[in-house]
Amino acid sequence: MSLDVTQQSTGRLALPFLPRRGARVSVLEIFIFIVCLALAIIGLPQTLQDVAVLTFLWAGLALAWNIAGGYAGLISFGHAAFFGIGAYTSTILFVHLGLTPWIGIWCGGALAALFGALLALICARLRGPFFILSTLAAAEVVRIGALNWASLTGGPEGLSIPPVAGMTSMVFASKAAYVAMMLLFLLVVYAITKLLEGSRYGYYLFSVRDDSDAASAAGVNPLTVRTAAMALSAGLTGIGGSLFAQYFLYLDPTFVISPELSFQFGLLAAVGGLGTAIGPVLGSFLITPMSELLRSYLGNQAAGLHLVIYSALLIVVMLYFPGGIAGALTRIVSRKGKL
Amino acid sequence: MSTLGQLVLSGIFIGGIYALMSMGLTLIFGVLRVVNFAHGEFLMLGMYGAWAITRLLDLNPYIAAIAIVPAMLLFGAIVHQLIVRPALDKPHLVVVFATMGLSIFMQNVALMIMTADLWDVPPMFNRSVAIGPFYFKAELLLGFAITIVCTLLLQWVIRATYLGKAIRATVQDGEAAMLMGIPVPRIFLITFAGGSALVGLAACIMMPLFSVFPTVGLNFVLIAFVIVVLGGMGSIEGALLGGICIGVVQSISSYYVAPAYGQMFYFILFLLVMIFRPNGLLGQKGAATIGIND
Repeated sequence: MSLDVTQQSTGRLALPFLPRRGARVSVLEIFIFIVCLALAIIGLPQTLQDVAVLTFLWAGLALAWNIAGGYAGLISFGHAAFFGIGAYTSTILFVHLGLTPWIGIWCGGALAALFGALLALICARLRGPFFILSTLAAAEVVRIGALNWASLTGGPEGLSIPPVAGMTSMVFASKAAYVAMMLLFLLVVYAITKLLEGSRYGYYLFSVRDDSDAASAAGVNPLTVRTAAMALSAGLTGIGGSLFAQYFLYLDPTFVISPELSFQFGLLAAVGGLGTAIGPVLGSFLITPMSELLRSYLGNQAAGLHLVIYSALLIVVMLYFPGGIAGALTRIVSRKGKL
Repeated sequence: MSTLGQLVLSGIFIGGIYALMSMGLTLIFGVLRVVNFAHGEFLMLGMYGAWAITRLLDLNPYIAAIAIVPAMLLFGAIVHQLIVRPALDKPHLVVVFATMGLSIFMQNVALMIMTADLWDVPPMFNRSVAIGPFYFKAELLLGFAITIVCTLLLQWVIRATYLGKAIRATVQDGEAAMLMGIPVPRIFLITFAGGSALVGLAACIMMPLFSVFPTVGLNFVLIAFVIVVLGGMGSIEGALLGGICIGVVQSISSYYVAPAYGQMFYFILFLLVMIFRPNGLLGQKGAATIGIND
């Protein structure tokens, strides 16, 4: 058996399998895409449409998180801050200044990307747990700031978008339009991830993640690579936040910038498979419908139950299948190939 | 002047208690080289335990420590065997996510059982103690005294006993220690369980001073990490020094800076320390820059 050089040098960080590189599209991906498209086109019942909207949105956001967390090795538990910045930017521009969200979304994404780049630069020297805790702390600062800056964000009372359907306000009467919108978002983030995987820049990311010293010896600047990855991930998360605002029509800091939301992005990606394109999608497709249905059955009496299940699942998956669902699938497929 | 003196002294006392809370973390970090993200939730568990014993059995939190400390020792041992040990030989990411998962798990189980309400224990001594012109809560002084005794005891264990020698050898070089016949896996278990027991003790001391709620760990764990970074990982006296610095800064800043932003204090302080002093007060090999990639 030949030894894989990249896997040899990666030491403790090495993910148990490396993602299949290149922008190839597998049968599984095409199948999932067709199923999603079919779900979006045929009319789903009202409650299932809500589930579909959230599943697609969380899948897109878990993918965005995965660009920083899985590909660049920048595990962030502060992505809710980017989500919140995106959501608040487009909503504030629309509610206070009357700017259409079609433009506001890009402003939100750009601002979130800027904030992400800033955070990556500030925390450039930090590694492992300290990077993670810094992102968590930064998000908490943003949340408390948003709670106290009531004239802009509405503070604890929150901020609402008038629920009047219209093209300029980007509010739709039918849920199906939202399903289509979120699916489009998921597809765009997925395409970006696939392109990244096969590109030169993607290889820079892998090299910096696996061995920062070796990468810089080979002429890759870890600081710029990390900063750009964080900015891209944050920008996409910000856009996702704006889309969420357009769907939910109500924002308040204790949900939109909560640490729970940041954990959720990371957990979906980790359960699905870090550092793969298909992983976060599978993670969201498995977990989001489950937790949404659970929540609708149990109601508010079981606050926190879905997170209990998430986290227990995460512990089991991390200990026994560190590659997540995607890793387990790859193992099964490659075993079959050998036999 | 007397205000400032009062602030500095109470900062020192509260900082000592923070240091006790961080000692478990710094020990585990120094010996196992893994970060227990659920450290704050261990504290939360200990505080709920102390609260329950105080309220239900009508005892006080200091007596509760007799039950809480062994219970946390056992809990730490179980967590180590079930979650930390299987993750040790896997990529570093695994232990990060596994303990993070444990932290979220414990928070939300607490939320389901105890709801988000704040609980506290009735004041015990109901009086202040005068030291010169300054007055302090009796609970605060007692807590600080217990911290000092514990620090000295822990120092003695690490300096003078065989177990302490084995722990120091493991901190310096785990592989060499293994070759010298030190049962490193058992040292890991003892350290993790012992660190958890220390958090349990800290929880009993903190219960009369703070309220307990499911996310109480988040604020305190950030302080604990600041103290570990400032003091240098694995260092007991460093933790005490770092804790006292943090206590004084907190006590002064919460008096002079707008209290509306008081809850931001922990987070901003953490970020500032991470940005400007990631290598600690004494400039040891940086705790904060050792991690995934190195």
